[in-house]
Amino acid sequence: MVQENKFRMEKQITDDDNIISLIGELDLSKASEFNTNVDPFVQDVGRKLILNLKELTYIDSTGIGVILTIIKTRHALKAPFAVENIPPKVQKLFDLTGLTPFLSAVANTVN
Amino acid sequence: MESKNRTVSLTLPAEAEYIDLVRLTLYGISSKMGFSYEDIEDMKVAVSEACNNVVVHAYEPGQGGKMEVHFEEVEGGIKIIVQDQGLSFDHVTKVGSADSLHNKSLDEVSSGGLGLYLMQALMDHVEVKGDHGTVVILTKLVSKSEEMV
Repeated sequence: MVQENKFRMEKQITDDDNIISLIGELDLSKASEFNTNVDPFVQDVGRKLILNLKELTYIDSTGIGVILTIIKTRHALKAPFAVENIPPKVQKLFDLTGLTPFLSAVANTVN
Repeated sequence: MESKNRTVSLTLPAEAEYIDLVRLTLYGISSKMGFSYEDIEDMKVAVSEACNNVVVHAYEPGQGGKMEVHFEEVEGGIKIIVQDQGLSFDHVTKVGSADSLHNKSLDEVSSGGLGLYLMQALMDHVEVKGDHGTVVILTKLVSKSEEMV
């Protein structure tokens, strides 16, 4: 169970989008790895950055912190960013922490 | 803190790689007790946040250290105690810093304080104390409608 929940990222690059799928449990032990690996895509203003959370089974405040940093950076770069396929239990944490309005704002302001 | 009965205890290295073991243990114990899926998910986050604080704040970098997690069955629910023997933080200030991102601008927000905020939001009761090391006591009650018969 620990192994199958091991966090990993899958990348899909198209002409318009960088789609990053987060799979497994994103916790303190993986937050800096996620931050490092996603950064080149965060800096890529030529493509829309999409985080696909369909197979994300767990997130904590450190993972939410990384997503918040991505929102801030993409906003500063005036580059489009969206988070898709948010599982209900992850959505609940985004709502509780107050992340949700920032996700909507960054998805709507630029495209 | 001393276990009278029905307490399961874990002692782990205070390192991030071990926090998933705490979640697995919590899952086993709380599902045996009849907690709902949603309550278990809530507790997983809250307990992990308490462990995150131990890993990040309790010990000097490279010093190593232990974290202890006690799962205690109490009347109507579960009490989870997360403790360390590290640097006690200023509980009053720390608990006061628990904060969400609500009603702030993008320039103002930071993820600091989110962990404690989530603990408070997801558990029925949260207590932080300790002079030699920090003790976080998280309590969750089994919802009546979900209680197993």
